Amino acid sequence: MMSPLPGRPAPRVAKSESPPKRTEDREHTESAIVIPRRSFLAALGLTVGTLAVGFETLAPAEARAATAAGGPVIAPQLPKGDGGTTPNVFVHIAPDGTVSIVCHRSEMGQGIRSSLPVLIADELGADMAKVKIIQGDADEIYGDQNTDGSHSVRGEGYDGARKAGAAARMMLIAAAAKKWNVAASACEARDHAVVLRSSSSSARSLGFGELAVLAAKLPPPKPKDIVLRPKSELRRAGGPLPLLDGPDIVTGRAIYGADMRLPGMLTAVVARPPVVGGKVERYDAARAKAIAGVKRIVDMPALPSGPPKFHPLGGVAVVADNTWAAMRGRDALDITWTAGDNGSYDSARYRDALLASVRAPGNPVRKVGDVDGALAKAARKVEAEYHVPHLSQAPMEPPAAVARVDANGCEVWACSQDPQTARKEVASALGIDEKRVTIHVTFLGGGFGRKSKPDFIVEAALVARAAGVPVRLVWTREDDVRHGYFHSTCTQRIAAGLDERGKVVGWLHRTAFPSIESTFAPDKTFGGDGELAQGVLDWPLAIPNVRAEVCEARAHVRIGWMRSVHNINHAFAISSFIDEIAHARGQDPREVLLEVIGPPRIMGLKELGAAKVRNYGASLEEHPVDAGRLRRVVERVTEMANWAGYQNARKGAKTAATERAFGLAAHRSFLTYVAVVAAVTKDAAGKIRVDEAWMAADAGTILNPDRVKSQLEGAFVFGMSVALHGAITARAGAVEQSNFRDYPVTRIGEVPRNIHVELIANDGLPGGVGEPGVPPVAPAITNAVFALTGKRVRELPLARAGLVT
Amino acid sequence: MTELIVRVNGTEQKLDVDPEMPLLWALRDVIGLTGTKYGCGQALCGACVVHLNGEVVRSCVTPVSRAAGGSVVTIEGLSPDGNHPLQRAWVELGVPQCGFCQAGQIMTAAALLAKKPRPTDAEIDESLAGNLCRCGTYPRIRAAVRKAAGNASGA
Amino acid sequence: MIPKWLHLVAICSLAQAAAVLPACGGPAQETAATAPVALAAPPADGLRPPEAFAGISDPSERSRALFSEMSRVMLHPRCVNCHPSGDSPHQRDAMTLHDPPVTRGPADQGVVGMECTSCHQDKNLALARVPGAPKWHLAPKIMAWEGRSAAALCEQVKDPARNGGKNLRQIVEHAAHDPLVAWGWAPGAGRTPVPGSQAKFGALAAAWVEAGAACPKEEARR
Repeated sequence: MMSPLPGRPAPRVAKSESPPKRTEDREHTESAIVIPRRSFLAALGLTVGTLAVGFETLAPAEARAATAAGGPVIAPQLPKGDGGTTPNVFVHIAPDGTVSIVCHRSEMGQGIRSSLPVLIADELGADMAKVKIIQGDADEIYGDQNTDGSHSVRGEGYDGARKAGAAARMMLIAAAAKKWNVAASACEARDHAVVLRSSSSSARSLGFGELAVLAAKLPPPKPKDIVLRPKSELRRAGGPLPLLDGPDIVTGRAIYGADMRLPGMLTAVVARPPVVGGKVERYDAARAKAIAGVKRIVDMPALPSGPPKFHPLGGVAVVADNTWAAMRGRDALDITWTAGDNGSYDSARYRDALLASVRAPGNPVRKVGDVDGALAKAARKVEAEYHVPHLSQAPMEPPAAVARVDANGCEVWACSQDPQTARKEVASALGIDEKRVTIHVTFLGGGFGRKSKPDFIVEAALVARAAGVPVRLVWTREDDVRHGYFHSTCTQRIAAGLDERGKVVGWLHRTAFPSIESTFAPDKTFGGDGELAQGVLDWPLAIPNVRAEVCEARAHVRIGWMRSVHNINHAFAISSFIDEIAHARGQDPREVLLEVIGPPRIMGLKELGAAKVRNYGASLEEHPVDAGRLRRVVERVTEMANWAGYQNARKGAKTAATERAFGLAAHRSFLTYVAVVAAVTKDAAGKIRVDEAWMAADAGTILNPDRVKSQLEGAFVFGMSVALHGAITARAGAVEQSNFRDYPVTRIGEVPRNIHVELIANDGLPGGVGEPGVPPVAPAITNAVFALTGKRVRELPLARAGLVT
Repeated sequence: MTELIVRVNGTEQKLDVDPEMPLLWALRDVIGLTGTKYGCGQALCGACVVHLNGEVVRSCVTPVSRAAGGSVVTIEGLSPDGNHPLQRAWVELGVPQCGFCQAGQIMTAAALLAKKPRPTDAEIDESLAGNLCRCGTYPRIRAAVRKAAGNASGA
Repeated sequence: MIPKWLHLVAICSLAQAAAVLPACGGPAQETAATAPVALAAPPADGLRPPEAFAGISDPSERSRALFSEMSRVMLHPRCVNCHPSGDSPHQRDAMTLHDPPVTRGPADQGVVGMECTSCHQDKNLALARVPGAPKWHLAPKIMAWEGRSAAALCEQVKDPARNGGKNLRQIVEHAAHDPLVAWGWAPGAGRTPVPGSQAKFGALAAAWVEAGAACPKEEARR
């Protein structure tokens, strides 16, 4: 896979393994069982092909048949021919005892490599010191590899990992039982060995390595026969788990997208049209070619008309000996662009259009009772309009990929959240069979949704083919900010009717945003079901008359998903609005929030008033809308923050209460419930400072509590950026921002000294963890700003209102 | 092209490059030390921080000519075995998430501790103000710097 | 009797808000009625040469007018941004706080890890927007020009206790030849330069000293 560079040791790729050979064995990996992908895309109802879910099948039918006949499981990345045992595509035990475990999801900071493999190891009974983690290449045999939608542990991840480990355990136990001539039930696997349960003699202990050789001849258990340990026997899962890649990260050894080096590799950067759908009219490369180190200029195919999908945007690539020469070369290109249809896109006018859209009726998507009647009869009305701009994921590592195209096909190393889609797209772009495309997944320097779109990987493959040598294609920060798949900008209008006692009796919510579906299909000018299921359809409202409507909005930039996606927009509006109702009533926002959520109860489709709720790819039976769980996180977080003490101080109208104020927000997303209290103060210049934060999260069963805590802490900081700083705007179709100077993000000095995080312990099914911390953060902050200043911010970011340094 | 001599992590490197080439690219592309990262190219994010003659520089904007005859230390050379107190504290406290910014964070913090062995919380924030982290590891970065400084509770 | 352009200078030097300012130091509106002697409008580069003041016969009067002209350079954002009264430099014509956040430090050179020269090189850079000049650093607080009137600036600049111990000749030398001062006229990356040229500024300084180095009267309103 990787030839060492002359004169230097081979760069150490973090425990990654060689790609499979291109042999006819590949035929056997066609999926035999078709199970709908429980991915975010599938939850949106977008068809991207059906795949075998690796954990559930553990191996496709042909592979299992081959195994039953005594042949080996076809596991593309696990060691072969060493005499060891391969129970399934995820686990191999070698004769020396080394256990290789495939991590089939991308590592982008959520600690997945330190989590799922440990669960497998726990179920197996392995000693982590003898476990090697292998990053999964793009291969349908692993099932769904799309790392987004906070679904690596929830759904099939948790149980699937356990089954993979259990299958391995059962084989090793079977081998030991056979050798000792005892029943399997008399044996147990722990500490990297199988022992006889009642024995104190070391003669009745066999190491995994020895057993691997014996087990190699046994067939793996059938999926239906797999037996999991009692949960209490999982030794590490749920407890403190070390960050396994920590040592590599802190010594600079971890390999990210742009770190991969191949002999003869050149580096490319691309000058892309400033406007989506724009084209090169003409260009002069004379000055660029004259720059030392520039090797060639490559024309990129223009973006085809229609939905942008994952097609590259077009433009001109400069290929050079090194990144600096490529950047200088690009800077020296003299290009005249045409703008195309999106050339008139102007964010200020678009915002007006969104506002007009929500001021008129839209398509109803949620309906309970008679909202129009309730509003007409209401003793009092509260109305507000909210706006969130486009945002950029801005991962610290801009997109980058290394590609090599030759007679065998194409091999890629990339920081991809979705290697299988990358593989499809590269194959399609090159016009070759997918089987001839290999995608290796490096570490990702942040994803947040940007890197599930493989446009940058396709670019690398195309330029590599044109160049005839391996090419590393890198995006500069300017490229990343200007040419992204942006978070949807959104305007919402909520109108509530209150009765004489102030109780909310009617609630009309309208939302307008350019749909993600517009990226994939034409004429998608309304938010889709999956998007509305993010905070519009599934918000538990104890209100007798509810209607939600989706209003029209056309897309003029590429829309993508950013960490928690439409929940950011909908949580901002709903949590702000509930706070506005509270203040209109002169009441404690906590009381009003709990009143609006209502009593603990499960809300089915009827109570929600929705025909269908995508529910993040999960069934509503398994993961219902549970008002009790939302209440509980509100109760816990306000307890943590001593909300009652704060409210009492405010009632006393002492100055202290107006020097520091609290804001509260809560939201359900990705099947997890999170509530946030933010405390804000003002500095000497009158600028808002976030002084302290509390977060309570109910995510069901937790696999790696420390990673979950760090994800929530990080989500708070990420949410601060949403609240305080960034906006992506366009003028004449082109994005106006370019780098961190005009798209600022949170810096260390702004972060509170204490972000208190508590996980509500329970045995429920795992919910998502990577994203749910984000949505309640911005409204908690803006609610606090109102309590502090009397100024209600309905448009993000706060910087726009001059409230931020 | 002139040949520039720069000592990098203790090894003399002869660089036959454009003297205006930022040090970052000499390190990453020419020498092959990829631990130092590109995050912005405009000295706004700190992912590219290395030590030049004992001081922090943002290598994405530092021409390699400025390092000529000098000594550069990158994350790979901060310690022979990953045992710098900051590296140890970073691992113990589970500081990194995606890890991309962490080399720059550690190198800046290392320069701080070399000059101020017991920095206050405010000093930590001021010195690290130029190091961005999108994953939001800041609370743990602060804790790890305090831990490495032997000052767990902060001043 | 305050010429309108002096108003502009005073207003510009006071402003610290995020709003974009009109270009300070640009060609001023002249009204003969308010100026004691009618000066010709500045040339295209925005800075009058010493010869433009030849018509002022009284040396003190001429000296004061020359310094007022010099102050259009010195109170321009390009200069005042690094002559702040606080602990952070400013940026842009709007004179917003420097981003990334930078703290003065004990030697006006930034704190550990955020020293000025950790980012700023000895010249402007081609692709990055970071400005540069030799010995990039903050003027010490005693040389803060933020919010100064031309009159106060003049007293400050002349005072050896507050100007780094310079005598008048050294002030002229500094104005005419210092490389960091020179940056103001070639700031790079589309930044608005200060008016005129360093040579002209040096000539104004020399002419100001020759005419007695008098300071404008303290008439600027805050």
